[in-house]
Amino acid sequence: MATEIKLPRLGQGMESGTIVKWLKSEGDQVEKGEPLYELDTDKVTQEVEADASGVLLKIAVEEGEVAVGKTIAVIGEQGEEVAQSADGDSGGDDAQVEERVEEEGSPGAAREAERDEGRRAAAAEASHGNGGARQPTEGRVKASPLARRIARERGIDLAQVRGTGPDGRIVAEDVERAEKEAPAAPTVAAAAAGEIEVRRLSSVRRTIARRLTDAWQAPVFQLTVSVDMTQALSVVERLRTLHEQERPTVTDLLTKVSAAALIRHRDVNAHFVEDEIRVHPSANVGIAVAAPQGLVVPVIRGAERLAIAEIARARAELVGRARDNNLRREDLEAGTFTISNLGMFGIEQFIAVLNPPQVAILAVGSTEERVVVRDGGFVAVATMTATLTCDHRAVDGATGAEFLQTLKTLLEQPALAL
Amino acid sequence: MAELSYREAVRDALATALRKDDDVFIMGEDIAEMGGSMGVTQGLLDEFGPARIRNTPISEMAIVGAGIGAAMQGMRPIVEIMYEDFLTLSLEQIVNQAAKHRYMSGGQLKVPLTVRTQGGAGWSPGAQHAQQLEAWLVHVPGLKVVFPSTPSDVRGLLYASIYDDNPVVFFEHRTLYGLKEEVPDELERLELGRARVHREGDDVTVIATGRLVHEAMAAAREAESDGISVEVVDPRTLQPLDEETLVESVKKTNRCVVAHEAITRMGFGAEVAAVIQYQAFDWLDAPIERVGAKFAPLPFAPVMESFVVPHAEDVLAAVKRTVGK
Amino acid sequence: MARAEHTAELSREQLIEFLREMLLIRRFEEKVEERFRAGDLPGFLHVAIGQEAVAVGVCRALEDGDVFASTHRAHGHTLARGTPANAVMAELYGKVEGCSHGYGGSMHLYDVERGNLGANAVVGGGLPAIVGAGLAFTLRDEPRVAVAFFGDGATNIGTFHESLNLAQLWKTKSLFVCENNRWAESTPGWQHSPVWEDMSKRALSYDMRAIKVDGQDVEEVHAKTREALEHVRSGEGPVFVDVETYRLHGHYIGDPQVYREKDDVKEANEEHDPITLLRGRLSIENGEFDSIDGEVQQVVDQSVEFAKNGTDPAPEDAMKNIYG
Repeated sequence: MATEIKLPRLGQGMESGTIVKWLKSEGDQVEKGEPLYELDTDKVTQEVEADASGVLLKIAVEEGEVAVGKTIAVIGEQGEEVAQSADGDSGGDDAQVEERVEEEGSPGAAREAERDEGRRAAAAEASHGNGGARQPTEGRVKASPLARRIARERGIDLAQVRGTGPDGRIVAEDVERAEKEAPAAPTVAAAAAGEIEVRRLSSVRRTIARRLTDAWQAPVFQLTVSVDMTQALSVVERLRTLHEQERPTVTDLLTKVSAAALIRHRDVNAHFVEDEIRVHPSANVGIAVAAPQGLVVPVIRGAERLAIAEIARARAELVGRARDNNLRREDLEAGTFTISNLGMFGIEQFIAVLNPPQVAILAVGSTEERVVVRDGGFVAVATMTATLTCDHRAVDGATGAEFLQTLKTLLEQPALAL
Repeated sequence: MAELSYREAVRDALATALRKDDDVFIMGEDIAEMGGSMGVTQGLLDEFGPARIRNTPISEMAIVGAGIGAAMQGMRPIVEIMYEDFLTLSLEQIVNQAAKHRYMSGGQLKVPLTVRTQGGAGWSPGAQHAQQLEAWLVHVPGLKVVFPSTPSDVRGLLYASIYDDNPVVFFEHRTLYGLKEEVPDELERLELGRARVHREGDDVTVIATGRLVHEAMAAAREAESDGISVEVVDPRTLQPLDEETLVESVKKTNRCVVAHEAITRMGFGAEVAAVIQYQAFDWLDAPIERVGAKFAPLPFAPVMESFVVPHAEDVLAAVKRTVGK
Repeated sequence: MARAEHTAELSREQLIEFLREMLLIRRFEEKVEERFRAGDLPGFLHVAIGQEAVAVGVCRALEDGDVFASTHRAHGHTLARGTPANAVMAELYGKVEGCSHGYGGSMHLYDVERGNLGANAVVGGGLPAIVGAGLAFTLRDEPRVAVAFFGDGATNIGTFHESLNLAQLWKTKSLFVCENNRWAESTPGWQHSPVWEDMSKRALSYDMRAIKVDGQDVEEVHAKTREALEHVRSGEGPVFVDVETYRLHGHYIGDPQVYREKDDVKEANEEHDPITLLRGRLSIENGEFDSIDGEVQQVVDQSVEFAKNGTDPAPEDAMKNIYG
């Protein structure tokens, strides 16, 4: 019976070989073990011996690359019929040769199937990563470290955030999204793109609205001065090195200087209440702060008596509490004068709205180099514009002007404030 | 109760097993008359004789391999490798043979061999006499790895290792041999794979091994006065690792420091950190810190040696970093 | 199960039994080559064609209770010691019914019940354990021997030297059988060992008793092994057996042996085939020979069927037998 000669696997991992030359021709007698053809593998060109004895009835693949397991020749008895499958080139034989090969008990192909099976079983099992079994996180807010950091930085309460990560974990994206949904109005529904977002007023906002409306009814006038801040800046510089922990700012200096001016012009340190003007003995200077919940004005009481370092410390504490929405009642009470500083936003000058029942409010812009005329020449001077808004029912133009003049003088020569 | 040093505790475990079982015997270099380079086996020759307390030539492969062969025949040999660094000479037998016979035979064979060795820096032993190589061994399936840090632990765990039916690589630390502890009169066999909490705390968990357990305890006391409450846990068995105890602790404290004397980079601590990170991700309030030796061979000069190896201060600094101080 | 022959001289029946055993190994190995080429068998395979007399001669000289460790060329030893062809073939096919249950393959054949402590893929890797086993027998005073098979290539590696040194020092009940086929893969003896012409010199340096054996004469192998075993069993000390043999095929299946002279291969096959030699010495009739051949061929063919129809391990079985 004819024997099909198939390309043998001559090494682990060998998938194909290239027939270089046949050492026997069709019709030749062949002995088992005799070199039959030359084969080129990855490693070497070698002679391959015949698996069987007989007549080389057919050479199915003359030369070229052949896959392991494919029939390349047939050896049998003289005159024997050669099975159809051995005819033609290796390409066309595929289907039938494959089938025969499977019958014999599968070549590399079947082992491949096993390897695939092993791979699939491993993939199916590995649903829970490499670190070991995960346990449920009952009770604890699940949030990624990044999400926690963002929440911390922006003052967002994680308990209010809905998590979309694995296991309902809050991820950074969730916190960002929560922030966009106005934190001051808890009843707001997230607006879909294109819709008008309706924000109901919180109680803080309602209070602000009411008071500003009141303030708007007062007859006011504004006075503006430009202040040479050279001395003031250098004083602040020196104060910062002196008081490393408190780190006084320009605002602190302003507070101190305003307080000094208020004591010298007591009419400005007053409240207008119905038809009374109440002049206060001490300057309780309020600093306008933009807190997450809205504008608040914490007050530094008795600022005229405090050293700059103490003012700085008090200011830091109050601003911190304001930002954390932790201000106490007494922080906001008894203010006699307010300073509003929009300098950090690059605003050169603005007019602040009165903070009733206070009779005056100071609006301060940014300090920047401006060209001024001096001694017939031009110089660049660090200049800040300050605007005083006064309630005309309590403060006259001259009174206001004198106050502002004192303020400017004290800022330009801070030593005079001592 | 009796006060035993770490060294005496090892000896006690060996002697107890030798007395109990004729199948237990010890092989190693200079372990007989000399009693071992660290004095651990002193006195054993007198009690058990040269057939069971066998001095060997300097042949780490043959020593370990002979241990494997005897173990496969049902004996319980304990092989002493003088210095952890010399483990490298016997690695082929430990890794290719001992660790794999059970597996390759499809479960027909077991290798109840215990390989004891010691290592560690201090007193300038030099680069080839001081390594901490536990990371190499925990990476091999089929091996168990134990590294106790106290007399009671070393006694109970060595005894357990001898009677474990798997090959165990048992690390001792040279600087701990003199450490004393009150231990029960009777040997208490401990279970492999269970960690021990040395100190409870609320703010940060320090997972430490070997000498660093004691450095961690010192750091913990220091941290206390700084208002930081430190929990110190010793895994004791590195493979299998008591992940549950470690993770539970970090879930309680939310912060973790892993400390070992071995080089930090690619060390055993890296695996612990990865396991903790994965299983306690949502409980972590700070990145996991690792304390270990710097990535250098061990220098000879004391000033340099001291620079490279970790100390209590390093653990303390790491602890403080986790709480943001 | 292999039984030790107790007579000093072997009867014709016994020798024919040896022939049958050698022929079983030969046909098994040829079948393995065929199946490997057909793509059935994964992994590396190294056949013992030409070295059957060593396997049969040594293994049939062992007593119950003796143990041995083999090399990467382990099929012959495994079959000669009595592991059924079915179990060996099934192992090569990676089936649960294999002697190592699919965990080991050709280079990690184990049959602990029959004293087969495993084939080893690391050259010289099994020797130290044979020292240890011999030590255990000494300590427990058991009349058992541990045998290490290895090739000339292994006589250069550290474990070989440490093992011989320790075995001789402690007089462990160990037998060291060096199958000296003069080839370490593709490196001929003269290129790897300064004492390649007389390997017994290796034993000399350890003061170990050494004997030389013609590995193609199964009778001589058997007789000399019995002698050596007696010596070892008595506790007198280990013995090194330098067995001269021939590797008739390549190092691994598919090895074209480009490094070996064709004449060398031809000569080995024509002059040194142990089966041909024994057949000649016994003057067996062709009929009788063919009958034996046919019988073993059937055993071999059936083993392939057995293996193919065997059970594949479940993928998760990979995680078993690591610890116990």
